Amino acid sequence: MSEYDSPSGPPPPQDERVSRRWFLGRMAGFSAAAAASGAVLSRAKVAASPGSLVVTPEAFASDVRIQSVDDPTTLTMAESMTLIRSGALAPTELVEAYAERIESFEDIYQAYADRSTRQALLEALDETPVDEQRFPLRAMCLVPKDNFYTSDLLTEGGSLVFEGFQPDYDATVVALLRSAGGLIVGKGQMGNLAGGRARVYGTTVPTTRNAWSPDDVRYSPGGSSSGSATAIAARLAVAGLGTQTGGSVTGPGNAQGLTCIKPTFGRVSLHGVIPLSYTRDHVGVMARDAKDAAILLQVIARPDPNDPRSLGLPQPPNYALAATAFPGERPRVRWPTRIGIWPDYLADEDEGVNTLRRAFLEVLEQNASVQIVSDITLPDQWEELTSEPLGGSHGDPTAFFIEHLRRDVRDFADRLPRFLNGMLQSADTYVKVQQARNLLLNRMLTQLFNQCEVVLTGETDAFDGTGLPLLCMPIGFDTDGETGKTVPRGAVMAARPFGEERLFAVAAAYQAVTDFHRTRAADPS
Amino acid sequence: MIQVPSRPNSPTDEELNRYILTRYALLGIDISVLPESDEDAPMDQERLLEHARSVLRQDAAAADFAIDPQLHLPVAHPAPFTAWTDEQSP
Repeated sequence: MSEYDSPSGPPPPQDERVSRRWFLGRMAGFSAAAAASGAVLSRAKVAASPGSLVVTPEAFASDVRIQSVDDPTTLTMAESMTLIRSGALAPTELVEAYAERIESFEDIYQAYADRSTRQALLEALDETPVDEQRFPLRAMCLVPKDNFYTSDLLTEGGSLVFEGFQPDYDATVVALLRSAGGLIVGKGQMGNLAGGRARVYGTTVPTTRNAWSPDDVRYSPGGSSSGSATAIAARLAVAGLGTQTGGSVTGPGNAQGLTCIKPTFGRVSLHGVIPLSYTRDHVGVMARDAKDAAILLQVIARPDPNDPRSLGLPQPPNYALAATAFPGERPRVRWPTRIGIWPDYLADEDEGVNTLRRAFLEVLEQNASVQIVSDITLPDQWEELTSEPLGGSHGDPTAFFIEHLRRDVRDFADRLPRFLNGMLQSADTYVKVQQARNLLLNRMLTQLFNQCEVVLTGETDAFDGTGLPLLCMPIGFDTDGETGKTVPRGAVMAARPFGEERLFAVAAAYQAVTDFHRTRAADPS
Repeated sequence: MIQVPSRPNSPTDEELNRYILTRYALLGIDISVLPESDEDAPMDQERLLEHARSVLRQDAAAADFAIDPQLHLPVAHPAPFTAWTDEQSP
C-alpha cells in the first residue's frame, strides 16, 4: 500500500495549515510595522533554521527521463545533476556547452545585459568542491535578472537610471545560488525599471528576442523578466531568476514555454534587489519544468535577517518532493485537489488559446486526485477591490527614486509616470489601499479558496497585490497572428498563502503525462 | 442663516495641471526638460500630465469607498500576515 493510499495519506501540504478563518480583533495597529515586528520575533527561528542548503534526494528523482546527452544544454537542471552524479556528464563539458551557445547566439538573442567570461565560469567551477550536499548546483549555469545585485557584474535595471551601477555585494538570493555551487552566467536583460519588454535604455527600441522568434523582433519575449526567460528557453542558461510586481515572471514564462513559480510574498528575500514596490515585489524562479523550479526555490527560500519580510514564516517544506508526481499506473497529483476555473477562462479572444485550455482541462480531469470546479464565483466587490485606485500601488516606487527624479526625469523614459505620480497620491488613499488589500485577501481565502485549493486564471494582478503564489507552465503551441510563428502558450495557477507545494504537485502530475515542457526552441536560422 | 456646505465643482484640467506642476516644483523636480508633445519620444509633458491628472482623479474616487476601519486594518503584506498573526494552525 502506498503512502498515498494509506488511511492517513501523505502529510498535508503547507497551504492546509493556513486557516480560512480570518483574524478579527486579534491584532491592533499592525500595519507596515508588521515587518519590523516580524524581525524581532523571528531571530530565534532564523538561528534555528538549517545551517546548510537543503536539496533533498527527490531533486535527483529517477523518474527524470534522460533523452539525450549529445547536447547537454537540452537537459533540465535535474537531468544534468543526475548525469553529473552518475559520472555520465562532466561538469566542464556542461559549462563549455553553455559557453559555446552563448558565444554563437547571444548576438541574436540579446538575452544578457552583462555576462561572465567562459574563463571566469570555468575558474569558478574549478574552485567549487565536489560535494553534492553542500554544492548541489555545481556547474549549473544560471541567469538572474538585471535588478539583482551582483558584486562582479553590472546591475542596471534595464534603465539609464542605473547605467554603470556596480554593487559591491550580491543580493541574498544570488549569494545563495553561488554558495550552492551555481554559476552566474550573466544578467538577464529586463524592461525599463521592471516594466515592459527589454529595450535599448531610454528608448522604445526593443532588444531581447523571444527564443521562439529569434529572427523576428515583433514577437515579444514578455516583460519585464525578458532576458532571463530568453536565456533559459534559448539554452543560454539552464534556469534563473526574475521578479514579479505585476506579472513580470509569469508573463515571459508563458511567452517562452517555461515553468515558473512566483512564491508567497516573504518566502524569498528581496534584499539586494532594485525595488519597485515594498509591498508587491516578489522574486520568482524561472525554469524548464516544475522539478527545476522546485530545486531552485528550495535553495533560495529561507529567512534573511536583511529582509524582515522573510522572517517569522513557516519553514520551507520539501519542494522537490512536491514536484515529483505521485507514482502509479497514471501519475497523480500528490494531494487530492480541487481546481477551480476562472469564470472567463475559456473565453479568451484567441480561440486557439481556448482550444489549448480545454485540452489542458481534459488532462487534469483524467487525474484521479483532481476535482475540477468549473463554476467558481468571485469574491464580493471583486472588480472594485482589484482595479485602480484600490488595486494600485502608486506611492511605492516614488519613495525610492526621488533623488533620481531630481537628477533628470528623462532617465526614466516611458516609465516616468509610474515613478513620478505616486507623489500625487494622498496618504489617506494609501492607507485605504492597504485596507482594501487586507479585505481582498480575506475574501479570497473565505470566498474563493473555500471552493478550491488551486485556481486556473488569466488574472495575476490580484494575486501579486495580495502576495499569493502563482505558477505558470506550458500547455501547448499556437500560431501567433502577427508573425505566423509557432509559439508556446501557458497556463497560470494560483493558490493560498504558502501553497507552493500544491502548485508544484499539480504541475508535476501534468508534466508527467505531457511533453510541452520538453520541447526546445529551434536555433536561429 | 447658516450656510450649508456644497460639493465644489470638479477642478478643470488646467487647475489640476497647476497643482501638479506646483507639487513637482516643491519637490525640486523639473519636467520642462521633456518635450512638450512628441508622440515619438519615450515621454513628453502632455502624456505625463494626462496620467498625473488621472491619478489625482482616481485618488479622489478612492475616498468614496467605504471600508470598516474596525474589521479591516491596513496591511502592507497580506499573505505573510496570515503567518505572523498565527492564522496557521499547528
